[in-house]
Amino acid sequence: MCDCAKSDLTLLDGILAEYASVRGSLITILQKAQDVYGYLPTDVLYRVAQATGNTPAKVMGVATFYTQFRLTPVGKHLIMLCKGTACHVNGADAVEKAICEELKIKDGETSEDGLFSLKTVACLGCCSLSPVMMIDEDTYGSLTPTKAVEIIRNIRKEAAV
Amino acid sequence: MRIVIGEGSCGIAAGAQKVYDALAPLLENTGARLGITGCIGMCFLEPIVDIYEKGLLLKRLVRVTPDDAAAIADAVKSDDLSPLDRLAITDEDKSFLDRQTRIALRHCGVIDPEDLNAYLDVDGYKALDKVLHTMSQDDVIAEIKTSGLAGRGGAGFPTWFKWNAAKNAAGDEKYLICNADEGDPGAFMDRAVIESDPHLLIEGMLIAAYAIGAKEAFVYVRAEYPLAIVRLQKAIADATAKGYLGDNILGTDFCCRLRIKAGAGAFVCGEETALIESLEGSRGMPRLKPPFPAEKGYENKPSNINNVETFANVSWIILNGGEAFAAMGTETSKGTKVFALTGKIKRGGLVEIPMGLTLRDVIFNIGGGIRENKRFKAVQLGGPSGGCIPEALLDTVIDYKALSATGAIMGSGGMVVMDETTCMVNMARFFLDFTTKESCGKCVHCRIGTKRMYEILTRITEGEGRPGDIELLEELCDAIRSGALCGLGQTAPNPVLTTIKYFRDEYEAHINEKRCPAGECAALRTYTINKDACRGCTLCAKKCPVGAITGAVKEPHAIDADKCIKCGQCKTVCRFGAVEVR
Amino acid sequence: MSDMIRFKINEKEIACEKGTSILDAAKANGIEIPNLCYLKDLSPYGACGMCLVEAANSPKLLRACSAKAADGMEIFTDSERVVKARRVALELLMSDHSGDCVGPCKLNCPAHTDCQKYLAQIAEKDYEGAVATIKDKVPLPASIGRVCPHPCETACRRRHVEEPISIAYLKAFAADKVLASGNHVLGEQSAPTGKTVGIVGGGPAGLTAAYQLALKGHKVTVYDKMPKMGGMLRYGIPEYRLPKAVLDQEIAEIASLGVELINGCALGKNITLADIREKHDAVLIANGAWKSASIRCPGEELEGVFGGIDFLREIALGGKPAIGKKTAIVGGGNTAMDACRSAVRLGAEEVSVVYRRTRAEMPAEDIEIKEAEEEGVLFRFLTNPAEIIGEDGRVKAVKLQVMRLGEPDDRGRRAPVPVEGEFITLELDSIIIAAGQKNDPAGFEDLPTTKWGTIVADEHNFRTELEGVFAAGDATNKGASIAIAAIAEANEAARHIDAYLAGIELPYHEPVVSEKELSPEMFDREKAPRAVMPQRPAEERRNDFTEINYGFSEEQAVAEAKRCLSCGCHDYGECKLIQYADAYCIDCKRLKGEHHPGFRETRLVSIERDQGKCILCGLCVRVCEDQAKKGILGLVGRGFHTVVKPEFHDAAVIAACKDCHLCADNCPTGALKII
Repeated sequence: MCDCAKSDLTLLDGILAEYASVRGSLITILQKAQDVYGYLPTDVLYRVAQATGNTPAKVMGVATFYTQFRLTPVGKHLIMLCKGTACHVNGADAVEKAICEELKIKDGETSEDGLFSLKTVACLGCCSLSPVMMIDEDTYGSLTPTKAVEIIRNIRKEAAV
Repeated sequence: MRIVIGEGSCGIAAGAQKVYDALAPLLENTGARLGITGCIGMCFLEPIVDIYEKGLLLKRLVRVTPDDAAAIADAVKSDDLSPLDRLAITDEDKSFLDRQTRIALRHCGVIDPEDLNAYLDVDGYKALDKVLHTMSQDDVIAEIKTSGLAGRGGAGFPTWFKWNAAKNAAGDEKYLICNADEGDPGAFMDRAVIESDPHLLIEGMLIAAYAIGAKEAFVYVRAEYPLAIVRLQKAIADATAKGYLGDNILGTDFCCRLRIKAGAGAFVCGEETALIESLEGSRGMPRLKPPFPAEKGYENKPSNINNVETFANVSWIILNGGEAFAAMGTETSKGTKVFALTGKIKRGGLVEIPMGLTLRDVIFNIGGGIRENKRFKAVQLGGPSGGCIPEALLDTVIDYKALSATGAIMGSGGMVVMDETTCMVNMARFFLDFTTKESCGKCVHCRIGTKRMYEILTRITEGEGRPGDIELLEELCDAIRSGALCGLGQTAPNPVLTTIKYFRDEYEAHINEKRCPAGECAALRTYTINKDACRGCTLCAKKCPVGAITGAVKEPHAIDADKCIKCGQCKTVCRFGAVEVR
Repeated sequence: MSDMIRFKINEKEIACEKGTSILDAAKANGIEIPNLCYLKDLSPYGACGMCLVEAANSPKLLRACSAKAADGMEIFTDSERVVKARRVALELLMSDHSGDCVGPCKLNCPAHTDCQKYLAQIAEKDYEGAVATIKDKVPLPASIGRVCPHPCETACRRRHVEEPISIAYLKAFAADKVLASGNHVLGEQSAPTGKTVGIVGGGPAGLTAAYQLALKGHKVTVYDKMPKMGGMLRYGIPEYRLPKAVLDQEIAEIASLGVELINGCALGKNITLADIREKHDAVLIANGAWKSASIRCPGEELEGVFGGIDFLREIALGGKPAIGKKTAIVGGGNTAMDACRSAVRLGAEEVSVVYRRTRAEMPAEDIEIKEAEEEGVLFRFLTNPAEIIGEDGRVKAVKLQVMRLGEPDDRGRRAPVPVEGEFITLELDSIIIAAGQKNDPAGFEDLPTTKWGTIVADEHNFRTELEGVFAAGDATNKGASIAIAAIAEANEAARHIDAYLAGIELPYHEPVVSEKELSPEMFDREKAPRAVMPQRPAEERRNDFTEINYGFSEEQAVAEAKRCLSCGCHDYGECKLIQYADAYCIDCKRLKGEHHPGFRETRLVSIERDQGKCILCGLCVRVCEDQAKKGILGLVGRGFHTVVKPEFHDAAVIAACKDCHLCADNCPTGALKII
């Protein structure tokens, strides 16, 4: 097998039982696997390849094509900052800069305390509230650099309690 | 009394769920029912609370906060809504909706999207019933042909033609696919339809499936739309349970299964052959056409793909007749079109209007013009495949042909308004950044060509533009247009071409004078302190990360232009507006 | 279905079966449409954008690989629009193609000798192969290998590891080996054409052109004014560096191709240019630069003042110039070194080199300076003759102006500036002025000359103003340079003469090549020192003109050749990308931008990958999946950052990959290499 960290592959059993034999389900399986592991470890990808009869090359190809998939672990909270047109026009760049400075990370990175990962996305479809970000399942609109930093600090405070 | 809260994604993001949670306990045992609806479309007023009595809208409350819950509950209990007038929508804002003609969005913000009965109450599934019991496949296609309905995803291809091709294609196994991979940044009408009226989509799809002879249908939804997926899942389950989906629909021989496939983040999957690749579980890389999907699509079987808004029009056409639909619009574009009006606009939201209105009608009449009384500069239509239209062309009518003539496209309906503070070169750069990130990487022109265009635009915005860069961009645009494999690549030059066409002077100012007329490009900005306005509070000097600001206490300060890194912090902290940017 | 389609390609009527792609239909009719991602047995992919063609009445260009021929279609495969689109496609591809098409050695050699190839052949002990490779460009390898100032070595990237490869000496080694074996390695000679070429001058340029033209089947006659052939190689380079016996052997090989060698025949004296033109279908003038340049210093007319090349020539002719016990050589180039070291060998007791800059600025090879020092030559840097002082018409002393280095000029070279009033006087018996060469225009009165007195020749096709008369080498344009530069011009001139004789005009453009950016990782190699040339000790060699170098041992040579980093792409000869890039004369640098770094990946069992050269045509991935049925290779990532990656997870896959090579066989560039 591969030389990566060992994941608990039994967690995949249910997903594979449901989808492995359904044609064209590779993306669905990877989405569900990512829900389980938080990301897609290499050994999980190999297991999926084996169970679905795909070559590892194909599974890797799919896992690296779509931006939703992550091959490395992310922080506890995922910040998805919208960089859509409306958000761009209304100052998403300044918001991004403020978040990066606050967390001392760049797009795609995870803060040192492991609490936040930042990912810019094309459009969250909440253009009227632009600029917008989503932290986990929650959407925050009409951001300013100060407001965005405040939101992050609040989550941090809650985490510290 | 029925209290309804608009809970589309935007509404929830604006705090609608918090308002709901605050209201729910207060309304217990009052006799008033609390419910939800989807997106009302007036995003600029969210959260919105509607109060109905016997189906009649008594009051529409806007920008409601959880703090207003008690007042609402009290008013409902006392049956006197007048204390809520301070929250009520103004007549001017009301005109935003009144000036629209809603077909695709006709139930949005009206019915509860999670309740099948609510859909049935507004004549839901009646069109399907009519089709299955009284119309042949060809009848349906003929009706759609009469309506003049064209693909609302962007290209505007006649819908009946695609259906007919799929129907006539050889083979028993055919597929119907709904493209809900709404990827254009700035467009969200498809999300709104699914979140607010999922059964309308299902019904439209079933009619199409019947027309082409498909027993299997998919909705390919962006993974970024979790709420849409949840509501659609529930709608599919409810419809299946009630016999509107599955085997022997409405007691006929017609059987159709509908499945949701969540996309995984790839704009290119909006291109139909890439979408098919993705549905099959592969990398979403476009295929060569021909063969077209109608011939060889999903699993190499005949397939038909339409987008959400297209399907959302179908049941109305069946119920009201194709001619009624065709009565709206222009010579070449029929019916209505939904736009997502955003950007520097006063009233942003979803706007559905008949084709043939002008851009000015939408932006100034419905949208109320530009925020903060700034000057209109351009409107971006069609996202990364579209273009920026200048003020001089605001009277262009909304029509596939007329919009294409400007260099932009109708697109899926994103309409992003920009004011004088938006740099058009940076705008082009923004779109090329998007395209390079979303290029699948298959063909040379798109993979490397858009990258090079992005690099050239970046250097122009950074003050490193060279004479000849505009011509080089034009040359690359031309080559990419004719050389790229799919629509994404072929249209990627549009934002660049239109900005060069209408705002060439801005490009020239960046390149020749190293100046950004909109003042947006940081590298070309200069910060100075207005000596008369400065009070010498020293705040800016303390905040400056590079020590570029000097001055004695209570004396005017000055910025050393050589040291300044143009971070803008001085301007942010200055309480006297003394920091000026040029 | 046997439905036939009739349509037109480039106005030619074509018929094919229904369902045939335009590309296949064109190919069947002898019309090649370029492509990089197409393979007959795979379904079309449409990535490369090279097969774009124009159809009448269609606003869009079509991809010929996938578009099917249809009745009445009118296709144009090379219209202006198509060519423009392909050019941009190629420029885009090349902007993200980071590889060295040819190694810096070959690129920097004026004659573009394939050093990398012959080093590999030497490493394999294939000496005849190596000589064949060299002779393709340099028909005098044993001679040139000994004397060439080797621009190849200057460019050699091994210097970033420790020291450059000893390429020139390896060339001599291989040539000596073959000469010693008694075998003759010569290029393949074509059947006689019946055409004749007259060449004026039997130096490196003349002999090279004679060799190349003789191989083409032309009858060649070389006219030379000196008693023997070889030109400056014989009369300008001392025996201790290039034994004339070696040169004789190499000249004899050229003569064996039927080249007629006429010596003692000076133009303007024994024969005229008109005579030669009369006798031959084409003429090449390659008579070199044989006059010593003056330094315009009072006293140059005195007895005991020698020109550098005149001095060397006298020795080569068997003379013993009377230089006395104390002599000085003026100049800092290779001729100055040859002269001073020859003076030592003639028995002078004090030999000084007078040079107006410092050692660092000397144009002579470092090794030559070092060897001269070992042999006892004194260097007087920062001095310049102000006056040669005579007595009774003979040199007595030289008055030297002391110099200092001024501020660097535009090119960074510091010009010498006189130090006011400071002079040194050096007592001398003779002085040798080695300050450059000039041309002797005698006999070429019919030809226009430059302000330097050289013959004007077109820099690309070497034609002169006279019909059928070509000129190359030191005699032309910018004048004297190194032998290999003259040889390079002779090769090109020969190509153009051959074309001229066939009535063809050869187009000219610089060959398109891509060059890699250097990164430190490329040079993270185990160090292996450069081979040291075994040499006679200085105290022994300074007494005679016998060759000072013994030559490499075989063991040394093979080890040295193996130091080669093989910078040039193995696939250069076959690479479709570069062939198209060249054919479409594209500009590789116009669309420069971010590109994939070149790195070699050897994780695969039997192939090596270089991501920098990959053009993402997907052929390897597709043949691995569809033809080899293995699916080991796959695309990873998206957009510009897509790469091809192999996935190995167990022994079975590794075993499956082994020995298949389909991917490498079908790679249109050198991104995949069988190892």
